[in-house]
Amino acid sequence: MKLQDVDVAVIGAGPAGMAAAIKAREAGAEKVILMERAEELGGLLHQCVHNGFGLLYFNEDLSGPEYGHRFIEKVMDTGVTPLLETMVVRLGQDRQIGAVNTREGFITFRPKSIVLAMGCRERSRGALNIPGTRPAGVLTAGTAQRFVNVEGFVPGKKIVILGSGDIGMIMARRLTLEGAQVEAVVEILPYIGGLIRNEVQCLHDFEIPLFLEHTVTRIHGEQRLEAVTIARVDGQRNPVAGTQRVIACDSLLLSVGLIPENELSLMAGIQLDPVTGGALVDETRQTTVPGVFAGGNVLHVHDLVDNVSWESELAGESAARFAAAGKPEARGEIKVKAGRNIRYVVPQTISGRKDTTLYMRVSEPEETVRIKVGNITTKGMRAVKPSEMLKIELSADKLEKLKEGTQEIIVDCEKRGGK
Amino acid sequence: MSQVETEVLIIGGGIGGAAIARELSKYKVDATLVEKGVDVGQGITKYSSTIMCQGANVLEFRSEYHNSRLVWAGMSLMEPLCRELDVPFKRIGSLELVKDQAGMRHPEKMMRRFSNWHGKYLPADIEPLQFIDRETLRRWEPNVDKKYIGAVNDPNIAVNDPVRLTIALADNARKNGIKILLETEVLDISAGTDEFKVQTNNGSITCRYIINAAGEYVGKIAQMADADDFVLYPVKSYQAVLDKKVGGLINRMVLATGSGMVTPTIHGNLFFGISPGSQRLGKAHDHSTDKKLADAALRHAQELVPAISARDIINAFVGFIVFRNFEIGWHECTVGVSRWVPRFINASIGFPGICAAPAVAKEMIEILTQQGLRLEENSQFNPYQKAMPDFSDLSDEEKKKLIAQDPRYGHVVCRCETVTEGEIVEAIKRGARTLDGIKFRCRPGMGRCQGGFCGPRITKILARELGIPEEEVTKKGGESRNLLYKSKELLEAQQ
Amino acid sequence: MAKEKTYICIGCPLGCEVTLTIDKKGGVVGFSGNKCKEGEKYVLEEYTNPVRTLTATVLTEGSSQPLLAVRSNKPILKTKLAQSMAVLAKARAKPPLKMGDIIVPNLLDTGADIVASSDLSS
Repeated sequence: MKLQDVDVAVIGAGPAGMAAAIKAREAGAEKVILMERAEELGGLLHQCVHNGFGLLYFNEDLSGPEYGHRFIEKVMDTGVTPLLETMVVRLGQDRQIGAVNTREGFITFRPKSIVLAMGCRERSRGALNIPGTRPAGVLTAGTAQRFVNVEGFVPGKKIVILGSGDIGMIMARRLTLEGAQVEAVVEILPYIGGLIRNEVQCLHDFEIPLFLEHTVTRIHGEQRLEAVTIARVDGQRNPVAGTQRVIACDSLLLSVGLIPENELSLMAGIQLDPVTGGALVDETRQTTVPGVFAGGNVLHVHDLVDNVSWESELAGESAARFAAAGKPEARGEIKVKAGRNIRYVVPQTISGRKDTTLYMRVSEPEETVRIKVGNITTKGMRAVKPSEMLKIELSADKLEKLKEGTQEIIVDCEKRGGK
Repeated sequence: MSQVETEVLIIGGGIGGAAIARELSKYKVDATLVEKGVDVGQGITKYSSTIMCQGANVLEFRSEYHNSRLVWAGMSLMEPLCRELDVPFKRIGSLELVKDQAGMRHPEKMMRRFSNWHGKYLPADIEPLQFIDRETLRRWEPNVDKKYIGAVNDPNIAVNDPVRLTIALADNARKNGIKILLETEVLDISAGTDEFKVQTNNGSITCRYIINAAGEYVGKIAQMADADDFVLYPVKSYQAVLDKKVGGLINRMVLATGSGMVTPTIHGNLFFGISPGSQRLGKAHDHSTDKKLADAALRHAQELVPAISARDIINAFVGFIVFRNFEIGWHECTVGVSRWVPRFINASIGFPGICAAPAVAKEMIEILTQQGLRLEENSQFNPYQKAMPDFSDLSDEEKKKLIAQDPRYGHVVCRCETVTEGEIVEAIKRGARTLDGIKFRCRPGMGRCQGGFCGPRITKILARELGIPEEEVTKKGGESRNLLYKSKELLEAQQ
Repeated sequence: MAKEKTYICIGCPLGCEVTLTIDKKGGVVGFSGNKCKEGEKYVLEEYTNPVRTLTATVLTEGSSQPLLAVRSNKPILKTKLAQSMAVLAKARAKPPLKMGDIIVPNLLDTGADIVASSDLSS
C-alpha cells in the first residue's frame, strides 16, 4: 500500500473512526486511510448484539452489528481506504505514524492530518485493587461480552457483576438469557451507573437483585473463583462492618468505568483533560497538537453511539479541512469551564464564532435544574444524571452575545427555584 | 503410575530449585527437579520485589549469620548469571532519603560500615556511596517529596525479572541434562538407609539425595521426611505495580526508614511495597491482599513520592517471606543438611531469596560432595542461552527484519505491552502452557488493561498451538479454567 | 379491592416510579408518581402489552465464525423471552447469510421472525 500523500489517517475503525473517515472523504479529502488493528471494520459494535443503537442518528432501533453495517458500507462507498490488522504503535509530535502488520511489516508515514478514534478500555481488577485471592473467573464485562457474543463461550453459571454501568447491566441480561444465574449486581453509588432503560429491561425484567451502596470487599478461591464478599458502604464509600455477606459464584464481571485509550496521544505530546481522560480539544475537535483531531470515546466516554458518530464526523470534517489548507485554523481560545454540578464540558475551548454543541456530564443526579452557559443561553431540564450525557447547542448568533475579549465561559447546573 | 530413579531430587521449581538445577548441570549427575505447579517460578519467586542486593541494602546483614554470607557471595554472581542467560539486569541505583539532621545518623552509620566492609564482605569493584544534598536530590528526582533534605546515593542497586531468570535457569538446566517434571507434587517421603522413596501425584521417585527448595512449603516437605529441624514464620509483604505512564516519576529506587520503598522495575513500571520486617506475621499460604495492608503501603509510597495515585495501580499482590528465628529479631536461612536426616538438604534462603540463590546453588555442590556424591565436570555444559525476541524493544530496522522472517511478529496481540503473536507462539514453544505462563515470559496481560483486550485472543492462540479446545485453556493450571461452558450448553442442560 | 402495580418509567432520566391502580377486572383506574403524561402512556403499555426486542446469538454451522448475532424483527412479549431462548439454542445458522435473512420464522407464533443481525460467510 502506498502511504505517501495521505490526507487524513484515522486511527481506529470503530463507530468513531468510521464516521470520521466517511466525513473526511465527504468533506473533500482525497486519500483517507482508516487504520484498524482487528481483521474487520466496526470495532466493538460486533460484540454489542443488543439493540438501542441509532435511535437518534437513524431514527431506528438497531443492534450493534446493524449500526456498524451501515457505516461499513458507507466506508466502502465513499472510497475510504481501510488498512486492517494494523496496529499503530507510535505517534510522533510531527504526526509521524509508526504501525505494524503482517503484510508490510513496520511502516511509517506522515499524513497531512490525523483523527484519533481509539475508543476506550475498561477498568480492570488491578485498577480497583479489590482485596483477596487471584483466581480465574474475574473478568471485565466487555471481555465477557466478547466471549459470549463472538467467541462462543459462557464464562460461568453463577455470576456476580460489580458496577452498574451499561455493559454490566446488558451482560446481566445476556448471561441470564444464555442460561446463567446472575446472583447480584453490586453498585457502590446510591444510583445506577448506566441508563434507566437498561435498569428496567436488563435487571427488573429478569428479577436480578441490585445492591446499591454496596461493593465487593473480597475475592475467594484459589484456582477458580468460588465466592465474593459484598458489604454495604458508608457515605465515604468505605465498607460498613457487620454488613458483609458472602455470595457463592464462579464468575465476577467488572463494569466499573471506562478509560479513554490515550497512550498514543501521550506519545504525541497531546495534552489531556484530567477529568475526561481524553485530549483537550476546541470545537473543531483539534487537540493541542496541530493537525491531530479526536472524536468518540477516546475523547470522553459517551452514553450513546449516536453521539460518538456525530462528534467524530466533526473531527473528520475538521481533519479534511486541515489537510486541504496545510495549516492550522486559528484555535478556539475561549475556555469553557465546568461550574456548579458539572463534571466536565467538551470541547474545553471554543472560538465563539461558529455553531457549536457542548457535551457535558453532571457530577450528581439532580431534579428541576437549568443548565446555564455563561450569559449565552440556558436550558431547563427536568432531571440530570451522571450517566446521561447532556448536549447544549450554541448557535453562532447566540454566541454574538459574548463580549469582546471574553476569556472563559462557565457552565453551571443551577437549581430552578420554586415549583 | 510411573517409576523414576534419580541420584539427586530437587523439590521446588522456584528461583532456588532452578538455580540449584542449573548449577548441578555443570556436572555429570543424574538429577531431577519436580515442581507441583504447571510452570516454574510461580510461588514466592513471583512475588519478589525484583530489587537485587547489590549495594547498601546488604549493610544491615550481620556477619555472624550464614544468611548474610550467602547474600554477600551472591552479589558478584548475579550480573554475570543474568548475562549468560540473557535475562535483563539493570543497575538503577537507590537513594535513601533523609528528612532531617537526626535522620542522618542511620545513613552515616551505613556509610561507615560500607567503607569498613568494602573488599571484606562486599565485592572490591563496588561503587562507593555518597551523600547528595537537597539541590542535587531535586535535580535527580524532582518528584520525590520536598521535605527530604538529602539522600545517600547508592549506584549499585539493580533490578531484574526474577520469574524470567527462574524460567531461564530451568531451561538452561534442562538443556544441560537435568530432568524437569512439572505438575508433580510430592505427597510423601520415606527415608531408607541408602535412599529415599518419594510419592508424588505422578508416581514414585527413588533417589539418594533430596534438596528441599520448596519455598513457602519447605517446612511441609521437610516434615514428610522428619527432617524439619527448624521453625519457619511466614511474613506477609504487599506490593503494587503502577502503570508505565507514570514509570518516569522516579529514576532510582527511593526509600526512607519506616516508609517502605518505591522503585522503577526492569520493564518500565513503578513498583511500591511495604518492607517485610514492618508487617505482622501472616497466615501461611494466604496470598490474598487486604485493604489495610494496601492502604498502608500506598500511604508510605506517597510519603516518598506524593504524585503516586491509587488511580495508576494496575496490579497488586501479597508475597511471603519465610523467616526463620523471627523471635530473635533477625532472620537466619535454612540451608544445609538436616541434623536429623542424612542426605536430606534443606535449601530455604527465605529473605532475600532471589539475590542469594546463585550462592546457595554453589553451596549445594559443596554439601552434596561432603555428603558423598562424586561430581565430575560436565564438559558439554553450555552456560549460554538466548532470550526470546522482545518486539517492543527492537529498533525499527530489527522489527522490519523480524516480521520479514516471520509475519506473526507483525500481528500485535497485546496493545498495552506491544506483544506480538510471534512472541506468544515462541513462548509456547519454550514451554508456556497457561495464560500466566505466557504472561510471565513475554508480558501480554501485564499492562494497564490486565488482559481485558488480549485475553480472548491469547486463549485462541494457546488452544491452537497446544491442540486443545479453548475451554480447556487455564490461567495457571489445575482448575483455573477461564471459560466454563460453551455457548448454549447451559440452555441445553435446562431442557 | 383495587390492586397496585409499580413501574419505573424509562422516558427520561427522571425515572419516575409510577404506580398504577387496577380494579377487580384488571382495568386501570389511576396513576400516581409520574411527573408527565408520557409516563402514563409508557406505564399503560408496560401493563397491557410489555414487549421487548430479543437480541441474542445462534450457533453457526459451516462458518469460521462460531456465532451469528440475531434479533427479533418485531418486539415480542417479554414473558416469552426465556422460551424463545430455548428455540434459539437449537437453531443453527448456515452461511451464506445476509443481514436481515430469517433464521427462525414466526417465533413461537408471535408473528415476529428471528433474523440475522449481520452477514455470515463461510
